[in-house]
Amino acid sequence: MSTFDQVIISEEFENTDVSLLETLDHVLNRGLVIAGEITISVADIDLIFLGLNVLVSSVETANEVLRKHEIE
Amino acid sequence: MAEFVYYVYCIAESTAVAQLPGDSLPAAIEDDAQLEWISVNTLAALVSCVPKTSYSEEPLEEHLTDATWTAIRAMRHETVVEYVAKRVTAIPLRFGTIYLERDGIEQMLAEKGRELELIIEQLRGREEWGVNVYSDRAMLLSSITSVSPVLRELVERAEKASPGQSYLMQKKIDTMRVDEARAAVNRIVDQIEEKLKEQSDDGLRLRILKVETTEHGELKAKFAFLVKRSGFEEFRDAAERLAKEHQAAGIRLELTGPWPVYNFVTGFTG
Repeated sequence: MSTFDQVIISEEFENTDVSLLETLDHVLNRGLVIAGEITISVADIDLIFLGLNVLVSSVETANEVLRKHEIE
Repeated sequence: MAEFVYYVYCIAESTAVAQLPGDSLPAAIEDDAQLEWISVNTLAALVSCVPKTSYSEEPLEEHLTDATWTAIRAMRHETVVEYVAKRVTAIPLRFGTIYLERDGIEQMLAEKGRELELIIEQLRGREEWGVNVYSDRAMLLSSITSVSPVLRELVERAEKASPGQSYLMQKKIDTMRVDEARAAVNRIVDQIEEKLKEQSDDGLRLRILKVETTEHGELKAKFAFLVKRSGFEEFRDAAERLAKEHQAAGIRLELTGPWPVYNFVTGFTG
């Protein structure tokens, strides 16, 4: 939700939205990793991220679903 | 066998989260899940009970190959962590952190308490800002010719030379232009990193996962900076100065954020 309102807009900067891809890039690879037998950490996320055009096309789907989710 | 497992979003201080309004929380990672704080001593973890059928190791790995499934959950993870990070100092956990038992989270909070408190102390009052550097190739190449005396002279000579000579000289000019442009981008990117590090507590150069060519040109570098809220104006001013300075060379800066501090909690190994 708020992610898309966060871009700084000023004369010198390009006025763009934070794309879904940018957000996914932030979320998927990073954050605190707490190691332990009972923690399942996501592996191969790069593969998911890089997966040809699959993600790009599904990003649209994801956006639709997210919007729908917010309306509900 | 329990029917549910615990999805963990972030960790914050118990006293701080007690002040959060309980009624305006964003949606959890699954439609029918709730958000719940599990507190131990001074720390609290934000969790959701999620079905074991989707979130235990094997089904989760299966789900993660579905980009749509993953994208939706990752966005929800982000929305939840953002909500908390905007209001209190929070340690964002990596997407997909799951505990099979509630006891496990309590034990982790108790055992890692000191380390987690130290991290929170280092993050207090700070946010993560992303800076993307784009380069417009055509603008850069033409600006290179006008700023490089050697190249300018060659261009002038090529214009007056015979067709055969001119052709050879043109090839040389093209090669030089590309080399100089590459060196110029590297210099500019290094300068941006150095200047913005001066205005922040920490800075990291991130991997570029996908070569993106956008309306701003090609993505050349991606940075994350840890910036004090009180120092954000100075940070932004410095970024704007850099953007202005390199505008003529086809360089664009894009500032994104504030993000939860995903890139500045990775030193912790549990």
